Amino acid sequence: MQLFPRGLFEDALPPIVLRSQVYSLVPDRTVADRQLKELQEQGEIRIVQLGFDLDAHGIIFTEDYRTRVLKACDGRPYAGAVQKFLASVLPACGDLSFQQDQMTQTFGFRDSEITHLVNAGVLTVRDAGSWWLAVPGAGRFIKYFVKGRQAVLSMVRKAKYRELLLSELLGRRAPVVVRLGLTYHVHDLIGAQLVDCISTTSGTLLRLPET
Amino acid sequence: MLSGGSDGVIVLYDLENSSRQSYYTCKAVCSIGRDHPDVHRYSVETVQWYPHDTGMFTSSSFDKTLKVWDTNTLQTADVFNFEETVYSHHMSPVSTKHCLVAVGTRGPKVQLCDLKSGSCSHILQGHRQEILAVSWSPRYDYILATASADSRVKLWDVRRASGCLITLDQHNGKKSQAVESANTAHNGKVNGLCFTSDGLHLLTVGTDNRMRLWNSSNGENTLVNYGKVCNNSKKGLKFTVSCGCSSEFVFVPYGSTIAVYTVYSGEQITMLKGHYKTVDCCVFQSNFQELYSGSRDCNILAWVPSLYEPVPDDDETTTKSQLNPAFEDAWSSSDEEG
Repeated sequence: MQLFPRGLFEDALPPIVLRSQVYSLVPDRTVADRQLKELQEQGEIRIVQLGFDLDAHGIIFTEDYRTRVLKACDGRPYAGAVQKFLASVLPACGDLSFQQDQMTQTFGFRDSEITHLVNAGVLTVRDAGSWWLAVPGAGRFIKYFVKGRQAVLSMVRKAKYRELLLSELLGRRAPVVVRLGLTYHVHDLIGAQLVDCISTTSGTLLRLPET
Repeated sequence: MLSGGSDGVIVLYDLENSSRQSYYTCKAVCSIGRDHPDVHRYSVETVQWYPHDTGMFTSSSFDKTLKVWDTNTLQTADVFNFEETVYSHHMSPVSTKHCLVAVGTRGPKVQLCDLKSGSCSHILQGHRQEILAVSWSPRYDYILATASADSRVKLWDVRRASGCLITLDQHNGKKSQAVESANTAHNGKVNGLCFTSDGLHLLTVGTDNRMRLWNSSNGENTLVNYGKVCNNSKKGLKFTVSCGCSSEFVFVPYGSTIAVYTVYSGEQITMLKGHYKTVDCCVFQSNFQELYSGSRDCNILAWVPSLYEPVPDDDETTTKSQLNPAFEDAWSSSDEEG
């Protein structure tokens, strides 16, 4: 969480961590998945679908999410719907996505209120009649993230034999495109298995897979 | 062992290692070659022995047919024709009450053919794209799992007329009727299905490079994470689970190697390297505890468990002969043309 550069977004976004970064920190993936699931069920964190890759899930603390969303929609016309959503739906349903009849019957939302929520950026369309939970204003984060990921990968790709020592990668100056920090991206690449991590006598080596 | 090739040829091999050496070649007992009048015209996709004895086997192919063969005379006993290419078929390994063969084709309907009457008895509707894999449960006579290119895996009870029992959801969301349409098991095409030998769990593998383990009774994703399981296959991928080991392993073709994982913990044990090109299928023989894999380099390799660490090559070969050859790390190669 500390790696996330808050200042970059002027505090408008809650700190987002990716699931692949958690995999890089915890050695056993199954255990990591199960613990994330438990935290999700207890309501401590929300898991959010980030649009660029169906597999990439962002993890946000529920408290941070709530405060940021409320701040973002202060004074706007859809504030009422968003507050109702945060108060009733978030604690009750810990899923990533919501369905039409769930929203209208169980929680009592009208269609116009659902449109407000989509306008506010809290819900993103998934399919006819179902929505993903989303973070308002996350577009900028996703843009920086995708560009930064490509930039760090190309740093490894351009190296001789397409491999780099981790310590050397972190010691290099980050290219301008990488706004979120090299360590943030390195954790994500290791966890998403976009680079192979090989331990050598001089430390960890990152190598691009052959295929 | 029965094997079908992409040229339409079907070959039967004798797997017994009667030579006492560690490197051996399995002989082909007989084959249905290109000169046979009923040979398949295009690639043979799936072959299966009749579950109860070896007097009969079934084969399905891209030439839109499913053929039932008599092993002793090597003649077709019956042919089922379909409108679309057949990707996969499966006959229930435990059932004594029915002789249904489930067939997955390029169309979105799963067809069930009855061997006793010789006709297609019924159709299961629910998928939206081609069916890449079908598999009966080894625990219950009437439960069938189907995997499709529309990213969905459905569990069916074939006696029920009203549709599938469960559509597997990778996010384990709340279950309700309207939710069924949006549930996806993978984020890409689902290529392969394999039940564990006790039938309580189902493994699925998809083109999103993931393998998932599901509880087959309630359709819940057990969230066991195997990491990236590379899968570029455009048609079905046949993988297999071991049977009779203390912790079960799953053997999955991974590019030109075979990756071995423990089923319930997700840990990768090893990668078996031996093939030169992409591995398409592998199957486990529980009586010999051997794995057989077939690949695009026209080889079928047999993998035997080795109980001893491989000894670095000494000059004398006499030390090796003291180890029982059946326990040696062995591989063999054999061609498709018997």
